Amino acid sequence: MKKMVRDALIYVLVTGAIWGIISIVSPAKGLLVGEVAYGAFTKAVEIIIAVFIIIGLIQVWVGPQTLSKLLGKEAGWKGLALASTVPIFIGGSLFTIFPLLKTLRDKGASIACVMAFITAWAGKAPLLPLEIEFLGWKFAVLRISLIIPFAVVMGLLSQFVLEKWQDRHPAVIKASPK
Amino acid sequence: MRIGPIYLAIAFILLILSAVKDIRKTKLALKASGKIALTVFPVLFLIFILMGVVSAFVSKETIASWLGSGSGVLGILIGEIVGSFALIQPAAVFPFAGVLRDRGASYGPILGFVMTAILIGVSTLPLEIKLFGKHFTLTRNVLTFILVFLIGIIFMLIL
Repeated sequence: MKKMVRDALIYVLVTGAIWGIISIVSPAKGLLVGEVAYGAFTKAVEIIIAVFIIIGLIQVWVGPQTLSKLLGKEAGWKGLALASTVPIFIGGSLFTIFPLLKTLRDKGASIACVMAFITAWAGKAPLLPLEIEFLGWKFAVLRISLIIPFAVVMGLLSQFVLEKWQDRHPAVIKASPK
Repeated sequence: MRIGPIYLAIAFILLILSAVKDIRKTKLALKASGKIALTVFPVLFLIFILMGVVSAFVSKETIASWLGSGSGVLGILIGEIVGSFALIQPAAVFPFAGVLRDRGASYGPILGFVMTAILIGVSTLPLEIKLFGKHFTLTRNVLTFILVFLIGIIFMLIL
C-alpha cells in the first residue's frame, strides 16, 4: 500500500514537471496540453469510475482463482475453448495474470491453454465502454470478435512450435526455471 | 449524447445488487476498486498530459505519414513496435489510441498499437522468463507480434 502511494506520487510529480517545463518554455503550448488533457479527462472520467467499480465486483464474484479452478480441471478441447473465451471478461495486468497462470501450468494446464488464456485476456471486455468511446463501436466489435479465433490459433500454434522445438532440444518445455 | 452517466448508473446498480447479496464481499470489491483507482489514475494523468504533448508538438502530417492510411503495412509494424515498448496500463491504451486516430492514424496501425500495448510488455519480460522460461516467452511474444500483424491487415481492409 505504501509502495502504491509512493508510485502514485512519483507519477503525479513527473507528470507535473513535464507539464510545468512545457508551460514555462512556451505558455501557449502548455495551455494547449492542458486543454487536451482536460478534454480527455472529462470524456473518460465517468466511464473509468464505472469500469473500476465493475472490475472490483468481477474480482470478488468471479475472481481469477475461480477461473483457475475451472480451467485447471478441464483438459483438451473443452479447456482450450474455456481458455479462449472466459479470460475476455477479467481485468488485471500482465503482472497479475502471469503468476496466476504459473499456478495453473504447475497444476497441469497445457501450454495451449496458458497461451490462449493470455491472448483472450487481451479482449478486455471490462474496458469495452472506454474502447467504444475513444475508438468507436466498429473497432471494438471487430476486435473482440477476432480475439477468440486469435486465442485458439495462438494456443495451438505455440504448443506446436514449442513441441517441435523440444524434439530438437529436449530441455525446452521442461526447463522452466523454479 | 454522453454515455458516461449510463455506465455509472449500471455500475451502481450492480454495486447495490452485490451489497444486497453479500455486504462483506461488496466491501472487498470496493477496496479492490480503490486500489485499482490509486494505481491507474496517476498513470492516466501522465497519459492525458502525454496526449496533450502529442497534440501540441507532433503535427498531424507526421502521425498521418507514419501511421496513416498511406503508411500501409509498415504503419502496422510501427504501431506494434510502439505498443511493445509502451509502458502503459490497459485502461490508458484506448484514450491514447483515440488521440492517435484523431491525428490521422488509421485503424490497422491503431490495432497493432492497442494489442501489443496490452500483450507485449518489455517491462514484464523478466517476470515472464522467470515464471515460464525463455523458450515460452520468446515463442509467445514473437507469435503474438506476427498474429497481431495479420489482424492489423484485416482491420485495414475492413475498417
